[in-house]
Amino acid sequence: MTRADRYLAAGILLIAILSVALFYYRSSLSSGKAASVGAVISAQGKIVRKIDLSPGGGKTTFLVSGRLGPATVEVEGKRVRMVDAPCPERICIKQGWIENPGESIVCVPGETVIHVEGAAPVDAVTR
Amino acid sequence: MFNTRRLVFLSVLIAMGTVLHVVEGMVPVPLPIPGVKLGLANMVTLIALHSYGARDGVTVAVARVLLGSLIGGVFLSPGFLLSLTGAVSSTLIMALLLKYSDCFSVIGISMAGAVGHNMGQLLAAFLLLQNKSIFFYLPVLLMAGIPTGLFTGYILKSLLERVERLGILRIYEDDAASRNLGPMGLMKEKNLL
Repeated sequence: MTRADRYLAAGILLIAILSVALFYYRSSLSSGKAASVGAVISAQGKIVRKIDLSPGGGKTTFLVSGRLGPATVEVEGKRVRMVDAPCPERICIKQGWIENPGESIVCVPGETVIHVEGAAPVDAVTR
Repeated sequence: MFNTRRLVFLSVLIAMGTVLHVVEGMVPVPLPIPGVKLGLANMVTLIALHSYGARDGVTVAVARVLLGSLIGGVFLSPGFLLSLTGAVSSTLIMALLLKYSDCFSVIGISMAGAVGHNMGQLLAAFLLLQNKSIFFYLPVLLMAGIPTGLFTGYILKSLLERVERLGILRIYEDDAASRNLGPMGLMKEKNLL
């Protein structure tokens, strides 16, 4: 092992540490501004309402008219759920609260969809 | 230059490289990091580079990846593409160092080859996945190249010393013969050992 070998190893290590520092710096910059999360409610293919999902928000309830009739949606803070719907199976109601970006409640008979917007956190990517 | 000795020598190296490539794929690495392995087959490439230069080094590397992936059943899979780009990039880096620098020993060159392998793989993975976040893996792969390169470098160094005593490996055949140096003499002169 010559002196140059040691310099090479040290150089590689230095680049590795610098890149860690760079990534850390850049991620600390981007985590400062949290992505705003909202939910989009659509009925019969059209967007009928957009709501903000911020942690401090209070409890609100409103009606969405689906194909079978009005459905009741409840928003509490950063989560949202279907409280009442005229569909036979009530699957949308049984699903309960959703809050993470990418999650959605779909009522097929009523043609109503609640979708939480934002970049979905990824567990894994496979091809 | 067509030369039977070279043909046989390269064939043996390709066979050894294939075996190392396949066997290494079966040995689990005791680290929770995917993609980190010892790179034993890289030693064979380095021997070919030493003995016959860049072109034959690349030939040995590519042939051993092709054969190894056929045996392992991963031919043309993403893993195969990663292996191929890694092998080619490490071979090119080692060839450049062998040709244009005389201050590194086998160990240093092996280390550079290991890191070059990982960088080539990372680039190929990026092209394959089209996802920039893969570059977060850069420091891990850089650092992983140091111990694995050191390890294979040390093995290669002691291997070359022993093989020299048997007198079967002709390193720098023509050059060494014309100047009446043994292959080891030439390697020592070039500061490789």
